[in-house]
Amino acid sequence: MNTFFQTLIVGLRLGSIYALVALGYTMVYGIIRLINFAHGDFIMVGGYTMIFVMPLMLRLGLPAWLGVLAAIVVCALVGMGTELIAYRPVRRKGTNMTALITAIAMSLFLENLAQAIPAIGPNPKVSSQIFGNGGFKLGTVTMEYTTVITLVISGIVMLVLYAFTQRTRLGRAMRCVSEDKAAATLMGINVNSTILLTFGIGSGLAAIAALMYMAQYPKVYTTMGALLGLKAFVSAVLGGIGIIPGAMLGGIVIGLVESFTTSYISSSMADTFVFLILIVVLIIKPAGILGKNVGEKV
Amino acid sequence: MKSKKLISVMIALCMLLSLGITGITATAFAADDPIVIGVISPNTGTLAAYGTGIVTGVQLAAEEINAAGGILGRQVELVITDDQGDPTECLNAFNSLVAKGVTLIIGSATSGCTSAITDAANEEEVCILCPTGTADSLTTEDDYIFRACYADSFQGAIAAAYAKQAGFEKVGVVYCAADVYSKGLFDSFSKACEEYGIEVAASQSTASLDVQDYTNQFAAMVSAGVDFVYAPYYYDVIGPYVVPQARAAGYTGIIMGADGYDTTPDYVVAGADLTVFNDVYWTNHYDPGADSEIVRSFVAAYEAAYGSIPSAFGATGYDCLYIYKAAMEAAGSADAGDVRDALADTSTVYECVTGTFSLDESGTPVKGAAIISFQSDGSAVTSTLVDVVTQLP
Amino acid sequence: MKSKTSRGYLLNTVVVVVLFIGFQILTSLKGSEGSFKLVIVPSIWQCCYLMVLAASLNLVLGFMGQLSLGHCGFMAIGAYTAALLSLACERAGLFENKSDLSFLLVLIASVLAAGILAALLSFLIGIPALRLKGDYLAIITLGFGMIIINIINNLPFCGQDGLAQGSAAASLYKNGLGFGSKAKVQFLWFALVVTILSLTLMFMFVRSKYGRAIRAIRDDEIAASASGVNTSYYKVLTFAYSAFFAGVAGALYSCTNATLSTSSFAFTNGGILNSTFVVVMVVLGGMGSLTGSVVAATIMFFVNYQIKNGAWVEHLPASVSGVFEYPMLVYALVLIIVILFRPKGIFGSYEFSLQNLIPDIRRARERRKAAKAERKEAQAHG
Repeated sequence: MNTFFQTLIVGLRLGSIYALVALGYTMVYGIIRLINFAHGDFIMVGGYTMIFVMPLMLRLGLPAWLGVLAAIVVCALVGMGTELIAYRPVRRKGTNMTALITAIAMSLFLENLAQAIPAIGPNPKVSSQIFGNGGFKLGTVTMEYTTVITLVISGIVMLVLYAFTQRTRLGRAMRCVSEDKAAATLMGINVNSTILLTFGIGSGLAAIAALMYMAQYPKVYTTMGALLGLKAFVSAVLGGIGIIPGAMLGGIVIGLVESFTTSYISSSMADTFVFLILIVVLIIKPAGILGKNVGEKV
Repeated sequence: MKSKKLISVMIALCMLLSLGITGITATAFAADDPIVIGVISPNTGTLAAYGTGIVTGVQLAAEEINAAGGILGRQVELVITDDQGDPTECLNAFNSLVAKGVTLIIGSATSGCTSAITDAANEEEVCILCPTGTADSLTTEDDYIFRACYADSFQGAIAAAYAKQAGFEKVGVVYCAADVYSKGLFDSFSKACEEYGIEVAASQSTASLDVQDYTNQFAAMVSAGVDFVYAPYYYDVIGPYVVPQARAAGYTGIIMGADGYDTTPDYVVAGADLTVFNDVYWTNHYDPGADSEIVRSFVAAYEAAYGSIPSAFGATGYDCLYIYKAAMEAAGSADAGDVRDALADTSTVYECVTGTFSLDESGTPVKGAAIISFQSDGSAVTSTLVDVVTQLP
Repeated sequence: MKSKTSRGYLLNTVVVVVLFIGFQILTSLKGSEGSFKLVIVPSIWQCCYLMVLAASLNLVLGFMGQLSLGHCGFMAIGAYTAALLSLACERAGLFENKSDLSFLLVLIASVLAAGILAALLSFLIGIPALRLKGDYLAIITLGFGMIIINIINNLPFCGQDGLAQGSAAASLYKNGLGFGSKAKVQFLWFALVVTILSLTLMFMFVRSKYGRAIRAIRDDEIAASASGVNTSYYKVLTFAYSAFFAGVAGALYSCTNATLSTSSFAFTNGGILNSTFVVVMVVLGGMGSLTGSVVAATIMFFVNYQIKNGAWVEHLPASVSGVFEYPMLVYALVLIIVILFRPKGIFGSYEFSLQNLIPDIRRARERRKAAKAERKEAQAHG
């Protein structure tokens, strides 16, 4: 029973991170139908920003996690910069596929640029403790507060995003753009600035994800976003991409699958089972767990 | 429009031409020319931390040697190439170095990359001195290949011997199935355990070195009831992930590792409970806190040059160049064949940062292992020498 | 019309044969020269497998319009199959050294087995996966790619236990497929023949009724199925056909490298050989242009090689060569710039052909002239 609880907690811990990252993915994908491969690297940008800002915060007598504010700003700027410099010109000229290539190139660029900056370099950096230790007992196993906080933050972010896209003018504009760009333009929506805003919000979310990631896994390195981003994207697809609650659900499912595979099946085959679950779900329900199957119009 | 096309054609031509030129520049070096030593290491990409460690170590040694008058009165010139941790790129880098006329090479960081060039080196009769490739088979079959570090079979067995000596009859292992270093140490550790009559009661692995969570693996160790776990990983996961998570999972026994644990104290989470690092042991080439003159001066010089404590990669890289220096001086020549013969002489003793040793027939150092433990009072982690093992029981 | 097609085939065959013979003469003349042996021949070997790989993905991505992000997984299957088969043959005593005739047979068998096994597995994967479309297919193939790598890593007889570790890699060099520098020169003809054959077979596929069917699927799947094209049959078939050549490319890879490590076939890694970069090659060359893929693979290889090993890099000013120490950074920039200025890829959907070369150039020139005139007219009006 202990093993079960332990595995559950590890799964939730991983899953809460995946969910938070997946929310950013799904946000961007929902609007412009682009797998933003660079999203994982925005997390890396946020992580390094906090590594540099946190000592400053501590010196000022503020809690370390306030560094996330700086990270949000930096990430949002990097995200919007990427959209302005790389994605927008390509979107105007090219196809979906060229946009995808640009995203891959951007991801490569950010990872290697970080390595080339002397203050960052290839050596990983370890952050200082962000939140205090502690937790409550579940059987004999401890559920850490950090995990709970991450889950709560993911939940709040999910609700806020959901409310934002459903209730506000800007959110409605976003949904409009994702449905039909031409029609949105006709309705007087500035498509470009809406997409820019989406990137700003999505990248800002990456900074929050970076904070929660570092609180539990306090290591930052230049390629940290690659596998994390991939798994988060898989989570988003599993839950039904473009659907905000789906990202959260998908993230937690992927985290649990990974953890339970490690404990009960084979510790070195966790990746296989994560992707196997994805494949099975997609074959049974091609639009993801929460997605609706839309018949194709002829 | 036309000019754009012209430029692109020109660039393409330049590239094609320079491909040929790389080979044409190969000429015999005269006696007063600098001795050219090639370095192949993963300076960019996911393994860049290893590569930059090696390069900084070699560069430091080259500066020292040049300031002291060089080797055989000739200055040392380094040609540093990048293999990005990929075997194909490693072979490309090797080929382009050889085409430029370089015959003495230090590299590469990982066994996977190095094994891509060992046979090519024999074919071209080029010396390779590998700083950190630990796979047993790298040096055994080949004439021109030497290394400056342990082979896996020795280091894993030392850990098993230590477990035996400490009286453990049941041990566990956590390792990475996709990493040659981790897997190699796991293999040799479990083989040695069998020899010593120790039962490997639990064996858990991780799919890649990018895994963040080791809690489940250590929970399995707890339920298997072992008090000694061999976890051959690198410092960058040991510090922030493995040890704290193992303790959080309720594992209180000994965690034992290998030279990858070096510099772990620089990668711990400041502000967290660091007493978790008590009862962590590891085997190393040398004791970084030791009082030996050569270690102290190396660490001081490295810190002065790069502002950080050298990792094991830096130390072995540094040693590689000095081993070459000793071999060249013994041979009285910088010719690859002569240097090879000098290195193959098993009676030569090299005094290095990573120990005083000679190379055995296969080209692997014969040296003892320092067993080191971490100690923490809660605010910082320090290393203490526990034991020096010179021979396997 | 018929005579024109056969004339085209004849022309191509003649040119290929002449080039091939010229190349053989060049090899026999310069075979022992350092730069030729160490730089040019290994480069050609690498270009060969990259070309086959890129062209094979183009069948799925360019001609059928389905994005596959796990193509290197099939290459990995091919590489490991070929390597293991050749090692097994050596242990069974089928050949002793690489100049034996029996080695050539083993070599051919390994390449074929690599392709066939990759095709069989892709068949299994393709049947469920190809029910999905677009980004979903992309992500599912990506998943299969990861699974293949993960499984190979955990197989006791290949993964890290066998081939990636020194001993087996070394014996692959001595006993198996792996070619040393001299053997690479000696067997260069084999790489060229395999590459030319593979490309020809892919060309023929594209020109056949299968090619027409899959292009119809790309342009409009519903219309295609309404016109009686069995879409799932053609999709799975093309997927398997493409995987076959990815497997062949894998076999060539294991000949070139003599050491196999699963990280080389991952989704992303340090080098340019990975599933993402194959997609990049196809898009860069032009989706739906096999010659484009061939050219793009060569260019990508050269840019990558030159940034790292080119002699001219040393002559650059310090600030520029400092940036060149980060090859992937330069590479990413080059990629973004190319995409920004030529989003359709180098060739678009144009196929280079010897026979139509002159008329094509003339037509292109006319088109450009017309465009210029139009612009002038527009300016005059504006």
